[in-house]
Amino acid sequence: MSSYYFSIIGTRDNPLYEVEFSSFKSSSSSSSTPPGISQFTDSVKEILPFVSNSSLDLIEDAQWSTSQFNLGRIDSFYGLLVYAFITQGNIKFILCFESSTTNNGNVTQKYDENSIKQFFIEINDLYVKCLLNPFYAVNDAITSPDFDLKVKLLAKKYL
Amino acid sequence: MKVYSIYILNKAGGLIYQNDVNPGLTKLTANDYLVLAGTLHGVHAIASKLSINIDGMESHQESTANANSALLVSGRSQDANNNKSGLQSIETDLFNLYVFQTLTGIKFIIITSPNPGELKKSYDSANEVFKQLYIVYSDYVMKDPFYSLDMPIKSFLFDTKVKEFVT
Amino acid sequence: MSDDIILPSATSMSTLTISDVSRTGFGYNPSVGTASNSITSETSNILLNRKTISLTPTSANSIYDKNVSSKKITEISLSSLSFLFCEIVNWSHKNSKGIQDLETRLNGLGYQIGQRFLELTKLREGFKNSKREIRIIEVLQFIHGSFWKSIFGRAANDLEKSQDVSNEYMIIDNAPLVSRFISIPKDYGNLNCSAFMAGIIEGALDSASFQADVTAHSVPVDGYPSRTVFLIKFHESLMVRESLRFG
Repeated sequence: MSSYYFSIIGTRDNPLYEVEFSSFKSSSSSSSTPPGISQFTDSVKEILPFVSNSSLDLIEDAQWSTSQFNLGRIDSFYGLLVYAFITQGNIKFILCFESSTTNNGNVTQKYDENSIKQFFIEINDLYVKCLLNPFYAVNDAITSPDFDLKVKLLAKKYL
Repeated sequence: MKVYSIYILNKAGGLIYQNDVNPGLTKLTANDYLVLAGTLHGVHAIASKLSINIDGMESHQESTANANSALLVSGRSQDANNNKSGLQSIETDLFNLYVFQTLTGIKFIIITSPNPGELKKSYDSANEVFKQLYIVYSDYVMKDPFYSLDMPIKSFLFDTKVKEFVT
Repeated sequence: MSDDIILPSATSMSTLTISDVSRTGFGYNPSVGTASNSITSETSNILLNRKTISLTPTSANSIYDKNVSSKKITEISLSSLSFLFCEIVNWSHKNSKGIQDLETRLNGLGYQIGQRFLELTKLREGFKNSKREIRIIEVLQFIHGSFWKSIFGRAANDLEKSQDVSNEYMIIDNAPLVSRFISIPKDYGNLNCSAFMAGIIEGALDSASFQADVTAHSVPVDGYPSRTVFLIKFHESLMVRESLRFG
């Protein structure tokens, strides 16, 4: 099952929120680990924030050349795919995952661009709700446990 | 009925607004307006003392308390005019004078042209003027951050609105 | 040991420290990084079985469960708004050193509203029939149109470009909602309480990466005594970007 690294980056290229998880769908019943736990190896885990942050320049370029919110696949790094979404308020959502999607050697079980887009749209909804909190200011880290839970539920629903 | 002049008195009887909206009255000096306002305030107070003795009505304080609690319970004022026991109107051959009092003790006084023989009608139209005046007062005076309570009203928007509905 | 990995993103803007550990297993801690909210067998179980759990005192009635994107127009009483704004001006006035300072304070209060409302308005427009504003003129039309409408219930009255200076634009409102009942005393000079609204515009523009300074100026005309011109002055760097991208 594929693992994902999701991060929200603020307007000053500062991280607001990160989470690692793996797909809840593809787990076979025989698997001993509970679904959702990220399966990144240590060496990959280490470079994930780097890969995400290095895509910021590409995102900024795309930011002013397209008027889409969803920027789609923006970058790839040795089999790590980077998908991005940017809000009107210049907040970046970045999703990183390994492209090797073989589950029992099944290549057709590919990442679904549409569900990634849907995931981003609903994350945007959550982000706006978080922003409506008067005790939250733009570019603060999002530490709310409720937000975290909702993000993980979305991850389970779409990825 | 033509409105000659509008006075607003604070709860202590001080004149906080005076406007001769239509010509018809002789101009007084600034000091005379203050004296006139103070006199009316006094007469109003004396009248309310007298009227209790005459028909044993509930005292002024009681009626205010009742009106306030009714306002809190129902969310709406039964009758905006809290001037139950004091001086309400003076009718003469030359002018009519009407007094309106809010729950907080602000008095609106208007001086109008005389309408002999049509007491009920002129009373109603005076009430209509008071209603408008109260609305404009609540909007353009009470919601103005630069107005301090019981002080003279200088708002030009209030002035404009008052002129709009009396002319 | 995987615990020894030093994550570069672990800078903290928040007050949480490295020793703060979430009891529920939910909640991101920026001092710790992804290790703080990684999914465990326990939390995985909660997620799978949709157990209702109370993470914070407000979990049961959290905003995350509410629908904020409905198009239905929600109205509030103009009187309550005016009384609230009256107190806001009074409070700012009390703390301010002068007229200029008062305007700056009102601007600052509006700024945060602009930042939030920008995102909310875009969310409410929906992603199917909306796009991200990337050009100056388009973002101004958005502010003048749907943004204004979602805050004040109607579009602004006019949008003009300055004839003399290339980076100046004007949004004109004949009767700004917040200062409808406010008369500025003569000794307050050219103070305009719509500085609050200027702050809203500035917050929205800044947040959308259109850095600008916005000021409010009273320009009364017959019939509209509180007519206000919001002067929007974009930073020079922005004009460079615009000409590079779309020149």
